[in-house]
Amino acid sequence: MIEVKDLVRQFKSGDRTIKPVNGVSFELEKGSLSSIVGKSGSGKSTLLSLLGALDKPTSGDVVVDGVSLAGLPDGKLTEYRRRDIGFVFQQFNLIPNLSAVDNVMLPMEFAGIRKAARLKRAKELLEQVQLDPEKHPRRTNRLSGGEQQRVAIARALANEPKLILADEPTGNLDEQTGEHIIELLSSLSRDHNTTILVVTHDRSLAQKTERCFRLQQGRLTEEVRSGSRR
Amino acid sequence: MSVLARSVGNAFRNKIRTAAVVAVLAVAIGLALSMLVANQAVGSKVQELNASVGTTLTVNPAGGQGFEGGGEPLTTTEAQTAASVANVTSVVGTKALRLQTATTGTTSTTGTTGTTQQTGQGGGFGPGGQQASVSTNLTAAIDAGTLGNRNNSSGTTGTSGTTGTNGTTTQPARALPITATGIGAEVDSTGKALNITSGTGLGDYTTAGDKALVGTSLATKNNLSVGSTFTIQDKTFTVAGIFDAGTAFGNNAVYVTLPEAQTLAATPDELSTMIVTVNSMENVDSTKTAVQNALGADKADVTQGQRNLETAVSSLDSVKNISLVAFIAALATAGIIILLIMVMLVRERRREIGVLKAIGAPNRTIGLQFVLESLVLVAMGSVVGAVIASFASGGIASALISSNTSTTAATTTQRGGGLAGAVPNGAVPGGGGFGGGGQGGPFGGASQLLTSVTASVSPGVLAAGIAAVFAVAIIGALVPALLTARIRPIEVLRGE
Repeated sequence: MIEVKDLVRQFKSGDRTIKPVNGVSFELEKGSLSSIVGKSGSGKSTLLSLLGALDKPTSGDVVVDGVSLAGLPDGKLTEYRRRDIGFVFQQFNLIPNLSAVDNVMLPMEFAGIRKAARLKRAKELLEQVQLDPEKHPRRTNRLSGGEQQRVAIARALANEPKLILADEPTGNLDEQTGEHIIELLSSLSRDHNTTILVVTHDRSLAQKTERCFRLQQGRLTEEVRSGSRR
Repeated sequence: MSVLARSVGNAFRNKIRTAAVVAVLAVAIGLALSMLVANQAVGSKVQELNASVGTTLTVNPAGGQGFEGGGEPLTTTEAQTAASVANVTSVVGTKALRLQTATTGTTSTTGTTGTTQQTGQGGGFGPGGQQASVSTNLTAAIDAGTLGNRNNSSGTTGTSGTTGTNGTTTQPARALPITATGIGAEVDSTGKALNITSGTGLGDYTTAGDKALVGTSLATKNNLSVGSTFTIQDKTFTVAGIFDAGTAFGNNAVYVTLPEAQTLAATPDELSTMIVTVNSMENVDSTKTAVQNALGADKADVTQGQRNLETAVSSLDSVKNISLVAFIAALATAGIIILLIMVMLVRERRREIGVLKAIGAPNRTIGLQFVLESLVLVAMGSVVGAVIASFASGGIASALISSNTSTTAATTTQRGGGLAGAVPNGAVPGGGGFGGGGQGGPFGGASQLLTSVTASVSPGVLAAGIAAVFAVAIIGALVPALLTARIRPIEVLRGE
């Protein structure tokens, strides 16, 4: 269970104070697939960074399975990111001179998993995201956008995180590949019982998630919809 | 993939840039290693000089030196007194003889408007009263030449030749005397070990004997080889060995044992000089004073042999200092190159560092990755640098020494000549003389020693140099590695 309590993040811009996240509160059930939509600059990515402990809130708290992130030292936050969070970025953010397998193995290496075990799991994850086995040893800068995003998703799953945060995961992909990626995230959420939160400005993509939140002027509202994805 | 493997891979990401960085590092590291090798070589030579020549004192009778001056001769009692002084490790006595070829006699100089009769140097005692002129069947290897004849011409009269209004001076060629020295150990008259090129030494130097060591040029002139015989004062001597003193004057000489020389001179207890060896360089000055006090200022003049080489050692010391500074400067350059390269790489890979942090990489892992990457570059630079050093260190050391000692050598040579030239005219024919030989020898030796520094790349020096390079590289890489800790992932990922 992820609980977000009255989260505020503000910046100074000259004499002005900007609050991209202004008193946001919500809860995410374990194994759910949710989305946050909003216009560019509405604070979606800032909220995602706060949830992923990449940034610290001005006030408020994020509680993951009963553990509060507020006040945790940097070392503990790094450990939290390594153990509990998986990131999927719009630009993929893979290490270009490493192979697909090596990229997936990286978070496991940081977690201290032995080489043989992490190699086995990396290959399994790449198979789960349906990356052609021939491309496992290939350097990621020689893969297509869709393939790179699959590798990024496999990397996000490497340490079996509690929460996967996907920032515009289909933003750099064509429509068909984007749909495949969303289907993949959906199935992973089901199969791994992993909580997934997708940030997007693509309404059609958001329609495919269980819950959809709208972020507007720093405040979050949940859209009420009929039906379920499952 | 481990951190090390990732670091190696990163080092080769941009092969052209890596090659350029390695080339620049190799030059800096090669220079550093060359300087270290030069420093070690010069340091060893300085130690050698200090240990061998720099710790000797020469004791002459007060007011006399070699065949010159006056005063009372030194005796074996005084040698024992000197030996009892603190820090003195050994005292070697010498007895100088002047060997006159039997045919050398009176010469005359005739001018157009005047005539001067001149007595040759054969027979009798000189001003110092401590040398003995004895006859030999050997012929001197040095021709009198202009200097010898000029010196002889002013010998007993103290005037220079004979001149008239329109006068000219004509002098027949003179045969120069041969230097013979009785020695108490296998050293030359300056205390330096004899370089015996063939045959053996004299064995027991404390007893009289009929064996002798002959200088190379004297042996050649008289067709002597090991086992040949010659006579001094009608006594037959056998050539036990032939030595090379390194100078023409020094090689026109004979060495016999000290008791033998004293017997030939009929002065059984007398010494011409004493060579006092001090236990360490630091004690030379105090021991010189102590020996002087023990013997008495009116009895003996104590001079410091080290003075003769001070300029040379000082020059080598300055080369050593220069090479040390250059080594440190080259090391610092290598460190700065690494620092700049790694700072550039950190800036270039900010996004990647942010991603690594986002997926849970600890700061120390990222820092270590960059340090290892810098060490991979340094390792490659060190290999190439070591090759450069192995070829260049000799040349660099020689260039350093020659550029730094050319002035010194010129000064040294000039001073040596000056001392030889300072011998009073007419007293000793020839360009050297005992005074000149005694003082000039070490000067000539200094020049040789300066150029005899050989720089060779030993594994130990190489390992020490490369260890220093790696230490500096780690320091240079730590700064950018610490910079990575300050990178906040949100800042670089927000750039999306």
